[in-house]
Amino acid sequence: MTPLLSLVNVSKGYNDGAREVLVLDRVCLELDAGITVGVYGTRRSGKSTLLRLAAGIALPDTGAIHFDGRNIAKMSSRERGRLLRSQIAFMSAADWRANPGESVAEHVATSLGSEGLTLREARRRAMRVLDLVDAGSVAEELTSSLSLTERARVMLARALAREPRLLVLDEPALLPSLGDRDRFYALLRDTAQQRGIALLMASEEMTALQGLGVFVSIADGELVSTGSLGTVVPLPGRRRLGAERGGQ
Amino acid sequence: MASLNPEKTRWMRGPSTPLRGALLGLLLERPGHGGDLANRLAARLGETWRVDTNDVYRLLEQLEKTGLAVSRDEPKRNNHRRTHLVYYPTEETSEALTLWMETLLPREPVRLGLQAKLSVAREEDAHRLLQALRAYERECLLLAQLVGPTDGRGRSWAALCMDCTRDAVYAQLESEIEWAQRTRRRINEFLEHRG
Repeated sequence: MTPLLSLVNVSKGYNDGAREVLVLDRVCLELDAGITVGVYGTRRSGKSTLLRLAAGIALPDTGAIHFDGRNIAKMSSRERGRLLRSQIAFMSAADWRANPGESVAEHVATSLGSEGLTLREARRRAMRVLDLVDAGSVAEELTSSLSLTERARVMLARALAREPRLLVLDEPALLPSLGDRDRFYALLRDTAQQRGIALLMASEEMTALQGLGVFVSIADGELVSTGSLGTVVPLPGRRRLGAERGGQ
Repeated sequence: MASLNPEKTRWMRGPSTPLRGALLGLLLERPGHGGDLANRLAARLGETWRVDTNDVYRLLEQLEKTGLAVSRDEPKRNNHRRTHLVYYPTEETSEALTLWMETLLPREPVRLGLQAKLSVAREEDAHRLLQALRAYERECLLLAQLVGPTDGRGRSWAALCMDCTRDAVYAQLESEIEWAQRTRRRINEFLEHRG
């Protein structure tokens, strides 16, 4: 069976002015449809880079990323854009943007602009998905008036509105209340499970990842995984340590 | 804080103290036989504790010897011709639990095996250490995966305690993983500079 998403020997680095820093070093990861994966890593561990590559937002320096068997890096930017809009949703609490004077329902509905829906249809779908994430009560509120918890739910609604097959989440809910955080993550897990959406979620807090099917940790460009349920164990080999390739 | 009479804290010695303390709490909630208490303990603490039923029987006997539990031979619910020991709290159980709640936790050694290896490793062992550290990190991730998730709806005191227990496991595993990652990084940087 073709995995929904696969990263094969993916490397990504940047130049810090003095030297080349390898953020991901020949990382391999596979994700089947409907599987939930939690990526644990500290700040600057490379987890955001991994997620942006997985979501098709960034492209690797070397290696291949396949979504549903198609190499993302070889797609035209138009094709890639279409894929991102229709099949993969990316959410990060840090990316919250809202237009002044915009209502929550409008905020979610405008994300469906290129779906070929009428304004009324887009609004109806927005309302449905806001109800799904228990945010129906704030549909007519201004986005600027939302609490952090409400924002997280509205962002999730916006991500779910296009009915993606893969939801990529990078620290989706940095909420001050631990109870609100637990409720958000429980809602996220339940929604993904009910709708058969694959989840790839990263956090520097392990409690955020509880209940997910597979745990992966990331540090120093390398992944370690519990790999089960059809998710391939990432290769631990490092370029500069060729002798230990293939081990676990 | 209640006075710490050495006689009253004798049961708090040794590595099994947390399990003995948790058993006292369970006995105060309701009496039970060894198997029942072992199941309740495993449900409360989670899979990561790997509670052994035989250990629970042994700990209950110890608690009975110190006067913190008392057992009675009672007929089994589903077979009245057979009996089993049912454990009950004593008059001293509640005070002992309070004392335990107030007592500072002892310092515990961490990751002994890996530390011992690191302390005497030769340079040619670097790759073996990296493998061992990765395996340890994976073991910690597997343990984290075993922790049952909260449903996020808990409002009761019992649900809060369960969430705190989960958090304790996650906090410990996070720190273990971060240590393993830092150690791998140190070794990798060393090897990199060696060329």
